[in-house]
Amino acid sequence: MSFLEFLAGRWTEILGLTLEHVVLVVISTVAGVLIAVPLGLAITRIPALGRPVLGFAGVIQTVPSLALFGLLIPLPFIGGIGSRTAIIALVLYALLPILRNTVTGVRQVDPAILDAANGMGMTDWQRLTLVEVPLALPSIFSGIRIATVVGVGLVTIAAAVGAGGLGSLIFRGLAMLDSRLLFAGAIPSAILALLADAGLAMLEARLVASRGAPTP
Amino acid sequence: MKGVAISFREVTKSFDQKIVLDRVSLEVSPGEVLVLLGRSGCGKTTLLRLVNRLVDADAGGVYVGGREVADWDPVELRRGIGYAIQGVGLLPNLSVGDNVSLVPRLLGWNAERRRERAAEMLRLVGLDPREHGGRRPDQLSGGQRQRVGVARALAADPQALLMDEPFGAVDPIGRRSLQEEFRSLSRELGKTVLFVTHDVSEAFRLADRIAVVADGGIRQVGTPGEIRDSPADALVRGLIEGAA
Repeated sequence: MSFLEFLAGRWTEILGLTLEHVVLVVISTVAGVLIAVPLGLAITRIPALGRPVLGFAGVIQTVPSLALFGLLIPLPFIGGIGSRTAIIALVLYALLPILRNTVTGVRQVDPAILDAANGMGMTDWQRLTLVEVPLALPSIFSGIRIATVVGVGLVTIAAAVGAGGLGSLIFRGLAMLDSRLLFAGAIPSAILALLADAGLAMLEARLVASRGAPTP
Repeated sequence: MKGVAISFREVTKSFDQKIVLDRVSLEVSPGEVLVLLGRSGCGKTTLLRLVNRLVDADAGGVYVGGREVADWDPVELRRGIGYAIQGVGLLPNLSVGDNVSLVPRLLGWNAERRRERAAEMLRLVGLDPREHGGRRPDQLSGGQRQRVGVARALAADPQALLMDEPFGAVDPIGRRSLQEEFRSLSRELGKTVLFVTHDVSEAFRLADRIAVVADGGIRQVGTPGEIRDSPADALVRGLIEGAA
């Protein structure tokens, strides 16, 4: 039986797992954005937060993903077997790139623009929303892009804690020494990562192009 | 709105224990263009920034229209004073027109009134609102951006203008015509203007009066003619002749 025939026989299962995979990535990245962007902006206002928060996110990033999934399992409420544990771990991994790019994006805003904004009489909130966030958007967006692509890869490992997704095919293939199963999980996952990267890159380009368009 | 008086009384300011301004007093009359002339690091920019409270004095007082700036809410104070700087600081994410009407927007003007005002201000500085208003700042030349910076500073009809080397980044020819236009514009509008520069010929071209700043103090205040004909000391003479 050829590999293509093998795929043809299992395409509904592969499609279902791909969908599960996408859902896990989307949920965890969106949650990551909702936590990391406001936190990153808070760091630009309260510099004392920077070291502990970025430090914490950095430490998490150094924990091997399989170990982090394993560590979360015994924890009450947040742990256990299943997608909830996986999502928590994935959100934690998404924090650092988004946080860091948010902070860097805001800090890179031209000082002359900030001086003009202050001199014109903007409140701190107006400066943030009218100047700093719009100008940091490309940087924030590339952080989200990194987090998403990394997330697609990490979700394959989340199958180890029973989260589902394409990783379950890979782990099954490993356990059964069946390279066809392994590829049936790995190839779609790789394609997903490339698609996510390209799609977000396109979105980013449109975002940048639309900046400066006259507002009514 | 016509210009108001600005006065500095015994103002002292230091940064990191280094004294930048040492008991400086200066009176700027309503409607006058007063140029603060000096080398970089002499304290002239700090003097300017005291007026809209981008810097607060350690001692002494700064008064705008007779009221001490320390009594104002900084945000409210700044919206009533035009501000233009060397880097211009236009927002790259907004159109030229929206940049010009930014302070009116902060003041809560409606869109219609803002648009009219932006067009009026762009015409005032020699730009065509229909041609330039919808563009992004990076689609303009350096000189055009400086004009937009001036238009933006004037948009909310401020009682005074603070300008920190606003034509610093333009080529000499463009700079010359900007200076001439600004001179006639400021006469026409009757605003009080405090203008910082290190360029002696710019100072002589624009000023009603020049205050020569050096080492955290004012060495001489006078009309361009007075400064040229009777410089107060060797430093002032050196500064002027160095440029001649």
